[in-house]
Amino acid sequence: MVVDLVLGMAGSGGDGVVSAGESLLAAVSSHGYHAMMTKSFGPQIRGGESSCRVRVGTVPVHNPGGALDAAVALNWEDFLKFGAELELAPTTVLIHEAKAGPPPEALVRRGAMPTEVVAVPITELTNQSAGTEKAKTSVVLGLLCGWFGVPEDGVRRGLEKKFAKKGEGLLETNERALKAGIEHALANPLRSTKRLAPPPTHSPKLLCDGNDLCATAALFAGCKFFGGYPITPSTEVMQTLAKEIWKYGGTVLQAEDEIAGIGAALGASFAGLKSMTATSGPGMALKTEIMGLASIAELPLVILDVQRGGPATGLPTKSEQADLFQAAFSAHGDVLRPVLAPISVGDTFRVTVEAFNLAEHYQTPVIILSDQEVAQRKETVEPIDTSRFTIEERLAPSASDLVDYRRFRHTESGVSPISHPGLAGGSYLGAGIEHNEKGDPTASGAEHARMNEKRFKKLEPLQHRRDLFDVLGPSDAPFALISWGSSAGVAREAFELARAKGLAVKLLIPRLLYPIAVPVYREFLASVEAGLVVELSHQGQLHKILRMQLDLPAGLRSFCHSGATPFRPDQVLAELEALAAVGVK
Amino acid sequence: MDTATTTCGATATPKDYSSALKPIWCPGCGDYGVLQALYRALAAIGRPPHEIAFISGIGCSSRIPGYTTAYGFNSVHGRALPIAQGVKLANPDLQVIVAGGDGDGFSIGGGHVAHAVRRNLDLTYLVMDNQVYGLTKGQLSPTSPKGLATVTSPLGSLEEPINPLLYTLAYGAGFVAQGTPAEMPGLTALIEQAIRYPGFAFVNIQSPCVTFGQEEQQMRAHKAHLRPLASLGHDPSDQLRALDLARSYGKELHTGVLYRNPNPPPTYDALVRERQRALAPEAKDRSRLLDVFLQK
Amino acid sequence: MNSLPCSPGVDFKKLSLMEALDLAVTVEEEARDRYVELADALSIAHTPEASEFFRKMARMEEKHRVALLTKRRASFGDRPSTVGRLQIFDIEAPDYDTVRVFMTVRQALEVALQSERKARAFFKAALAETTDLEARFLFAELVAEESDHEAYVLAELARQATDPWGDPPGDPADYSDEPVSQ
Ligand SMILES: Cc1ncc(C[n+]2csc(CCOP(=O)(O)OP(=O)(O)O)c2C)c(N)n1
Ligand code: SF4
Ligand SMILES: [Mg+2]
Repeated sequence: MVVDLVLGMAGSGGDGVVSAGESLLAAVSSHGYHAMMTKSFGPQIRGGESSCRVRVGTVPVHNPGGALDAAVALNWEDFLKFGAELELAPTTVLIHEAKAGPPPEALVRRGAMPTEVVAVPITELTNQSAGTEKAKTSVVLGLLCGWFGVPEDGVRRGLEKKFAKKGEGLLETNERALKAGIEHALANPLRSTKRLAPPPTHSPKLLCDGNDLCATAALFAGCKFFGGYPITPSTEVMQTLAKEIWKYGGTVLQAEDEIAGIGAALGASFAGLKSMTATSGPGMALKTEIMGLASIAELPLVILDVQRGGPATGLPTKSEQADLFQAAFSAHGDVLRPVLAPISVGDTFRVTVEAFNLAEHYQTPVIILSDQEVAQRKETVEPIDTSRFTIEERLAPSASDLVDYRRFRHTESGVSPISHPGLAGGSYLGAGIEHNEKGDPTASGAEHARMNEKRFKKLEPLQHRRDLFDVLGPSDAPFALISWGSSAGVAREAFELARAKGLAVKLLIPRLLYPIAVPVYREFLASVEAGLVVELSHQGQLHKILRMQLDLPAGLRSFCHSGATPFRPDQVLAELEALAAVGVK
Repeated sequence: MDTATTTCGATATPKDYSSALKPIWCPGCGDYGVLQALYRALAAIGRPPHEIAFISGIGCSSRIPGYTTAYGFNSVHGRALPIAQGVKLANPDLQVIVAGGDGDGFSIGGGHVAHAVRRNLDLTYLVMDNQVYGLTKGQLSPTSPKGLATVTSPLGSLEEPINPLLYTLAYGAGFVAQGTPAEMPGLTALIEQAIRYPGFAFVNIQSPCVTFGQEEQQMRAHKAHLRPLASLGHDPSDQLRALDLARSYGKELHTGVLYRNPNPPPTYDALVRERQRALAPEAKDRSRLLDVFLQK
Repeated sequence: MNSLPCSPGVDFKKLSLMEALDLAVTVEEEARDRYVELADALSIAHTPEASEFFRKMARMEEKHRVALLTKRRASFGDRPSTVGRLQIFDIEAPDYDTVRVFMTVRQALEVALQSERKARAFFKAALAETTDLEARFLFAELVAEESDHEAYVLAELARQATDPWGDPPGDPADYSDEPVSQ
């Protein structure tokens, strides 16, 4: 019995392996397992090769895992295209379509060949049981049930949900294929004994992806306006809101470009509504000027950047964490704006609500720096107790504020009461030009300095937002891991593996990436002599920013690589162990 | 929203719309006249200033919101239209006016015009067309006549100008007009009609730049060459004729309403509101929003 | 078509004394405000002498307006005015394009001169068309007063010509800095 199982399959688009992965995910999650699924596609819009991997655990899973426990190849050509996504190890059980023949030379040459390779006449089984080749993946699901303990009735319920509405016969056809797969597995036991342990509890879970939760959190936080332009991998946020937001008195504007999208969103915020835009790297570049406008006009605005491989079109369907510099620094003039990053699908809800709260409270643009992996991988999430959240609203002017109203009045906190068109007595000129307290344009250097100071001062409390950081491990540990975004889940597992091996290591996961909360890092780093900043970019951008703003321990170095393929926990562990083996000085 | 739509009606005067801020335009700039015409049009309509949102881009002309008592937003170069659409959708009760220059509207912001027209929100777009970049000191503008020598086209420009009247008409705008501060009563009436038009309304205002503009684009020349459309017997509901007349932009100074859709279709903002009302009953309690993802 | 230099859309043949007074009051009011507006523009543009002169003109127009208004109130009380500002936009008030940055007092005087002449021509034409006897008296009076104003401006111009510290030769722009781009 195992507590953690990683399954992967590949085929052509027409085989429906991703759809089968979804059924598998639904089946295990409805049984109370923790699970996540990532998918990967060829460049074709339709009909290309596709693959998915599903990781199932009896304990929470934080990342897609390392090498597969079981791999299914419907044909070798497609399977070979996913070398990194479907990594094999000697311990992998490799199942393949019998008529495709034995593993090709190209695969064998990669090394790390599985010792157990099982040929199954999948097409034949399907034809015999279902009378059509189309139900192939149901046979595969049956094999996984029979060999690895995937809950059979969960899969059956999934098939029901999927096919019941699709017309007579389809459900029965697939059920027969499923049964054939199970029977084949039972009749041909494996050498390997990787059967999934039963789940500890049968608690219901949410099953969704990061973009789902971002959109839902936006509604929850009271977002009433979305302006944006479609771009992978952020578009689902716009699509969900376009369906739902009307019910809550809001609207979605599909703008003519990213500039218009953020412009309209900023206009809606100026008019008093909670508002957001979403995009990916190339769109962020276009939005930069208006983000500056939002900063100087002190208007709340949430900007979601779902990072993909860049620059330019880069790798539009793959994850990377290389937009941090852009998020933190792409600005003309002295600008400080909060940048938050979710570390998992479930975390996206909290981070999005937080982004709206910060935006409204501090009257500032706030960037959510998600990434393709967090945004698009489907994952089980423990039910979220929404009653724990507070929702912030922008500071409205009191009656006395509206006597000779000064929109940008200097206050203790730096936050000034904000009016909106329609409010009598609150008229002012919002402007991209520097202004005095009233909002009237000025070219005075002294006034500019005071306003810059105000705009920075109001964000100072962020320095002390310890709740936006996860700190794990003994406080006096000499070794450390720091990681953010989707990589944080990998670092988390590497940390747990290292702790289990007795290494004195601690872990810091910032959700607040910028401004750098200096006191939080100082406290964490006080005991640290060596460690790794783990992130998915060529440059290691967080590490560079930390070096810029803090005196780092000499042994704290960057562990990074370009995007597309996430880190594996064992890679991080190995690096950490090597660091520890060298010892401290 | 907490806006109660009220009307000052007969009690409003142009002064009610004039702020304490003094224009920084060059003495003699046509924009002074545009501002006066606007005050008067606003007074004639009578919405209280705080129910007006006045959005502009960047340029000499884009300074205009600051000189009114409305809620103003002097944003960034070329982006007034998108911002204004957000404002209007956020609160359709507001009277939203957009203003800027020929460079702001038809060069850097040119891509937004077609979409503002096709969406047909109830907005009024006033372009102060001086055929030059004023704020940056006299460079070629998208409406500068071909061959114009400027600091960025010292040997004369090689490209044809954009035709704002023809473009907006061809995009399908329901209200297209042209005026000049050389003819104030007419300009005031045009602005008033544009604001009252229920949909996207565009007024191209030939507003001379005395500092960098051409001699033949000054007020004196306007006065001499003005051709009011009314005096030509133009019927503003005749779209084809309007297109025909628009072709002489840059050659003739037609003033008045070129086209006014006699049957204005419902505006985008009205449709948005309708949809919001229709779907409101489907709203879930905030605490139930996540239920859709629950696996049972 | 009306033969007046600027058509306020009034039928002079039927014009009553009250309407004529309303017309005159509004013309002066418009002129006053325009002079103030131009003076403001000039003072922001660092052209103080011309600005000061326009303020003087504004005070003169205001005096004239108050006198006319007093007459109107005495005979017709507070009944609402029959004339709107837009009708008489540029009967006396100088056009916006008459001013320039760094304009000299002499140039400002020229602007005022044109404006007074414009006004006189208007009232003269009105006099010719109006039939109401009292209204005709009023217009005749106005023509005389605009002539007085014109005389004042002409005298100032003459004084300027002999002033050793008067306008320098050439165009004022020749002495000034380039405009500043923003
Ligand atoms: C992104 C950007 N590019 C360039 C500028 C510089 N700029 C300011 S106004 C302007 C053109 C002004 O011309 P127009 O829009 O016709 O207005 P006008 O001043 O003539 O009224 C330019 C190029 C800017 N502010 N922002
Ligand atoms: S530069 Fe031209 S457009 Fe700008 S204020 Fe001066 S006259 Fe007007
Ligand atoms: Mg211009």
